Amino acid sequence: MSSNLRLIWNGLIPENPIFRLALSMCPAVAVTTSVENGLMLGLAVVFVQVFSSCTVSIFKSFIHPRIRIPAYVIVIALWVTVIDMILPVISPDVYKKVELFVKLIVVFAIIISRLELFASKEPLIPSFFDGLGMGFGFLFGLCLIGAIREFFGTGQLFGYDILGFNPLLIMVLPAGGFFVIGFIMAIFNWLEYKITGKIPTSGGAH
Amino acid sequence: MKEIFKITLSLTVVCIVASLILGFVYAKTEHARKLNDERIEQQTIQSLLGYGVGAKIPSDLKVYPVYRYVITTEKGETVLGYVLPIKDNKVVLAEMDLSGNPTNVIPIPVELSALSDKATRDNAVNAVLPKGSKSIYAQTIFVADQGGKRLGYVVPGVTQGFKSFIKLMVSLNPDFTVTGVAVTSAEEDPGLGAEIQKSFFRNQFVGKTIELLKKLTVVKEPLPANYAAALDPAKAKAKGLTPEQVKEIKEKHLKDNIYALTGATISSRAMTNGVVSTVKKFVYRLDKLNEAIKKEQLSVAF
Repeated sequence: MSSNLRLIWNGLIPENPIFRLALSMCPAVAVTTSVENGLMLGLAVVFVQVFSSCTVSIFKSFIHPRIRIPAYVIVIALWVTVIDMILPVISPDVYKKVELFVKLIVVFAIIISRLELFASKEPLIPSFFDGLGMGFGFLFGLCLIGAIREFFGTGQLFGYDILGFNPLLIMVLPAGGFFVIGFIMAIFNWLEYKITGKIPTSGGAH
Repeated sequence: MKEIFKITLSLTVVCIVASLILGFVYAKTEHARKLNDERIEQQTIQSLLGYGVGAKIPSDLKVYPVYRYVITTEKGETVLGYVLPIKDNKVVLAEMDLSGNPTNVIPIPVELSALSDKATRDNAVNAVLPKGSKSIYAQTIFVADQGGKRLGYVVPGVTQGFKSFIKLMVSLNPDFTVTGVAVTSAEEDPGLGAEIQKSFFRNQFVGKTIELLKKLTVVKEPLPANYAAALDPAKAKAKGLTPEQVKEIKEKHLKDNIYALTGATISSRAMTNGVVSTVKKFVYRLDKLNEAIKKEQLSVAF
């Protein structure tokens, strides 16, 4: 059990998709103008990541290695579309808010990279926890960026007025996303340097 | 050579399985999704007419849809067709030419409630038209009637927003004064253009008469603080404004132009143009429709 918990922890902080792996940066900048947006997109990613990881893990022996990438894309697209069709039936109000984000998930680098690196090699249970960990790591990253941008950009959190004025409007504008992600990444690298004493090597950005 | 067949087969199987699952899910959820969409539309219309969530809807309040079709006749002329509900739960298709002269009235042998489904309605309209003519659905307007008295209209409209189209609904009272504006779908930027959906922006249109609307523009000035509080019911409550004070502030600012949202002037302009053009077009069309109804002596339900 402890190895499964370590997989979740791994996705949350040491291999956080946004701040450590630097994957799926585009949506991380684009939609994180408020905590609510970050939360909604994060939840959608958790579902798609977990379902796709499990599917690929179960059927990995059926997928011919030379066509694995198109097969993974079809699996991801399948789950995204299924969620896109079921969610409006279960909860139309939530769907109205996440409608735009759900359709974006097909092209997220983080999901396909986890399928390629982890789920295609490991059995079902670790794949499930790896998907969960990566999804939660993404959710955590989006909420953190969203909270900072919403607080400084509009003086609000979750849409509730806290300050009553905008301290720094640039934070909700696209440029603010780059600033916030850059600073948080720097903090993560600094922490790693303090703990391990090694200068962190940079991840590949997508 | 053998491998290529294996690969092709593998990918084909993956695709077929995926499409089977999708087809199954679609078939299972299609009906429920349609019902939900209809319910959301009904709720939007009711809240625009002043019966929001939790409000008791009077039993004699009736909302009649009027569907507008653009018809190309067998001779190649373009005419307008209005699907009108008439008394005794019957429906007719009233045709008029582009300048508003009524040309033809054809009864449609289908119940009004069945026509809310677009496919059924299109078929019903095409079935009563002579062979060779084509019809294209254009718009639905809603006429609210309470105990035989005209309560108002709800008119949908579309406008070009910052990135894609903003769909909106405007409710009007019988004198064509705006009583409410709702945004039904928009893809404006969260935190900036998406603020058009907030009540402090939408309520700036409320109370504007048709004369004010014709001259309405957007000004890049900060929204006065007490006006902002009066426009948002939650804020007015938090500030302790009495309904009389709210009314007074709103009356003072009634002739103001629309105050642009900070960092979203394009979205603010798009909304303003959208509301103004939706109302203007509707008033023009309703005038023609009323004339035609009078000329043909139709006993419409509303």
